Amino acid sequence: MKRIIWLASYPKSGNTWFRMLVANLRQDKPADINDLPEREGICSARGRFDDIMLFPSGLLTHEECDRLRPRVYEAIAREAGDEAEENETRIGDVRFVKTHDAWTYTSDGQPLLGGSKGADGAILIVRDPRDIAPSLAHHGRQSIDQSIDFMNDTDAHFCGQRDRQPKQLRQLMPRWDGHIASWLDQTDIPIHLVRYEDMQADTAGVLRRALAFAGIRVTLDEAVQATRFADFGELRKQEAERGFREAVTEQRGSGFFRRGISGSWLDELSSAQVARIEGHHAAMMARLGYDTVIAPDERIAS
Amino acid sequence: MFSYLVSGLSVSSEVALPGLIALEAGDSQSADVTIRAGAVPRVLDDAETDGPNWQIAPNRFLFEIPDVIRMLLTGGREILFEPETGTSPEEAAIFLSGTGFGILLHQRGRIVLHASAVRVRDSAILFCGPSGAGKSTLAAALVDAGYDLVTDDFCGVSIHADGVPWVEPDGRQLKLWQNSIDRLSLIERRAAPVRPELQKYYVEPRAATAAALPLAAIYVLREARPPHAPGIERPNIVDGGLMIRNNAYRPGMVRRMGQADLYFRAAAAIAQRAGIFTLSRELDFKRFPEVIGWLEAHWRDLGLMEPTT
Repeated sequence: MKRIIWLASYPKSGNTWFRMLVANLRQDKPADINDLPEREGICSARGRFDDIMLFPSGLLTHEECDRLRPRVYEAIAREAGDEAEENETRIGDVRFVKTHDAWTYTSDGQPLLGGSKGADGAILIVRDPRDIAPSLAHHGRQSIDQSIDFMNDTDAHFCGQRDRQPKQLRQLMPRWDGHIASWLDQTDIPIHLVRYEDMQADTAGVLRRALAFAGIRVTLDEAVQATRFADFGELRKQEAERGFREAVTEQRGSGFFRRGISGSWLDELSSAQVARIEGHHAAMMARLGYDTVIAPDERIAS
Repeated sequence: MFSYLVSGLSVSSEVALPGLIALEAGDSQSADVTIRAGAVPRVLDDAETDGPNWQIAPNRFLFEIPDVIRMLLTGGREILFEPETGTSPEEAAIFLSGTGFGILLHQRGRIVLHASAVRVRDSAILFCGPSGAGKSTLAAALVDAGYDLVTDDFCGVSIHADGVPWVEPDGRQLKLWQNSIDRLSLIERRAAPVRPELQKYYVEPRAATAAALPLAAIYVLREARPPHAPGIERPNIVDGGLMIRNNAYRPGMVRRMGQADLYFRAAAAIAQRAGIFTLSRELDFKRFPEVIGWLEAHWRDLGLMEPTT
């Protein structure tokens, strides 16, 4: 019996790193970052919709697509696993599928991602929003303040253009805290929370616990080796030598793998920017254990 | 009744299908394919395989675009359709002439590729790729550069007894998103939207051809991302064959209908008589002149065009 586990995250929270770790499990040399089996495996990929529904999603509005997406994920989960496999990261009988979608419901009240019929569970990767803001700015070639606005926008989305066909189906990201809450508070599927900062502090340990949640046992040695193969320096080295296909066009030259450290916001954000992020997301930051530097009563109105 | 020629087949339709090659209204009895409105069942009792919105039974294919239209395709000869409440005939047309007819061609055992095509001298050149790969936009740029449109979106290929693959034109209008229309300055050629809710429009090509043409080359479109460097390459014969099958109009149909062998044999014939290439380029409108330059140089190398003097 195959299991599907969502790798869910707000963008720039460590999803790619996690996938690299999984791809490097039980390998004898570092996996090629451009030859990962799951490179088309994001759940919003348009091709999967088209191939399963047998008609082009491009003939539907974003809203019409959303109403049908649960059927697509249910169908993928039902497949005996013939051709579905080649596009996804698999360990044993578990398929990991990346998603940046929030856990939303269609206008018919169905979970967009198919609920318990679409996956067996989710590993939710979160990261300090003060570190996400500069990373997102770099990703989208926008200012940090624009990223902060995006992270505070209840209507934020990726690939929602209407005058062209975006490469992926629209993904709703209703604020940073709203995105995290949507996953944490849903009761459709079990969830395992991973903090990026904890992944850095103890990569092998966090990886093993996350994989155990997915039903996969790996030894400490295996986890340590995967950690070494997917070390940030190794990923950067490969990207410098050959480029990274998943980088957005704007990142060519400057790199998808940027700094990969925690706490870089201390030298990248102004105090006003820190105050804005903390003002917008204080409650969720507290819930996830991210200390704020600004006391609640000093916070500017968000 | 309306009459059309699609992929070499005569079609008799109760609804107007924009963009197809129109024929003098003929006898619907003698048409290869009829398209008519009527009651479409919600399930097929003898379905052998199914998906979220479709069922396949012997000789029949039931297909639903939820909340838009349902279709029953029988024997590759008839499309019976029932629009859902609120779907106009104009709106039904894009689903009948595109998806419906594309699936019908699969049902007929035809080789049908997800491709747009232009004419270079007396040959057809195909551009394959999944939705969003830029097939229509590249075809539009080439039509603008003086090459006639042969087909847009899907392309029927017939392997003749002598092994030569032929392309049956559809003379279709292009279907382009507003962003492409703006960037290619085609606003004056813009016709009706393919659906009222979408900023995607039928676009009249500058010129289209209605004659069948031998297939000279297939380019599989790819975005130039690592590990694919920009340019034109010839894949090895195995990869080339897989590319043909993966660029079937609906690869899922090939799989479900057990037609993998059919496509491998077609791919072998195509590889022998025409070229299969990859075209990797940045998805950037500013790059079109450069990409057209690569293609023209390649067509000269292949002997499809006179060398420059």
